Amino acid sequence: MALRESVQAKGKPDLGIVTGLGDGDAGVPHGEFLVTLADAVARWQWHDVATLREAGIDLMGTEATSDAILVASGFNGITRVADAIGIRLDSRTANASVDLRATVGIDAFAPAEKWAS
Amino acid sequence: MTATALPVDPATSAAHQATLEAIAAPGAWWSGADRLAIVRAARTAPTCAYCAERDELVPAAGDGEHDSDGELPPIAVEAVHAIRNDSGRLTRRWFDDVIDMGLLPEAYVELVAVTASSVIVDTFAQGMGFDLPELPEAANGAPTLERSDVVEDAGAWLPLAREGRANILRSLGLVPSALKLFFGTFGRSYYMAPDSQFALDRAQVELVAARVSAVNECFY
Repeated sequence: MALRESVQAKGKPDLGIVTGLGDGDAGVPHGEFLVTLADAVARWQWHDVATLREAGIDLMGTEATSDAILVASGFNGITRVADAIGIRLDSRTANASVDLRATVGIDAFAPAEKWAS
Repeated sequence: MTATALPVDPATSAAHQATLEAIAAPGAWWSGADRLAIVRAARTAPTCAYCAERDELVPAAGDGEHDSDGELPPIAVEAVHAIRNDSGRLTRRWFDDVIDMGLLPEAYVELVAVTASSVIVDTFAQGMGFDLPELPEAANGAPTLERSDVVEDAGAWLPLAREGRANILRSLGLVPSALKLFFGTFGRSYYMAPDSQFALDRAQVELVAARVSAVNECFY
């Protein structure tokens, strides 16, 4: 993921909002709202999503709100592929996300027992 | 469609409809009817009492039954429900149990692709304020028994495609049609093509992706 690179030019972002450990917008336009919407979509909380859709239209417009839901939907699928096949982190992906992983603690989601026979 | 549903980009709508049509056709290791049953099992998973009650993912424990209409073998229902409801807790031991209990590795790969593709289509439809899409009729025909030999051990639970820029892009390579199905669906949701465009900027897209990965406890 290229989140760190995407926001680096805007100063030191608080990427803790990715895992709920920080606040603010992470230096991303409407970042706090997007995290809230992504969270609700990923958890299939449709009542909340309905409310957030309305807020998103007012805040970002229809297309941006739709695209946020589309991206969240895609990652709700691809995370399941990664976890169900038990893939390891490849060097390309690791190199692209080293800072982000350290900042938000993503590596905690890969306990040793995930690959233990 | 509810009053608050958003308009859908026609290209996305077409891609997701194509996914459902492809699922309804015979696959490599499951028939079209089986693949639609996988989608229905994924749709049943959120309300499965057994999934909600169990503390550990142990398919061999035999201490309960998933909510199921009986269309699929119980071990397939276990796999679909665990992937749909608890993907962040899947382990090698759980996977080994699933295979030991009779699911062929190739059939498992295809099941993963169908389940994850349906998760994308259904999440998007509901997220936009629509009902779950109706499923097409199953097309007749036998599975092709396709299996790629152009794979290698990359430390995953299954061999990955030998070629590919990142492991996630190689992940379903044991069954090429499964890989094509999934990434044909996912492609609308990320920068999978040079002409990919979003009304969000790159940092916004990555932030949404990162948050969903964190919610799903996905390390990748």
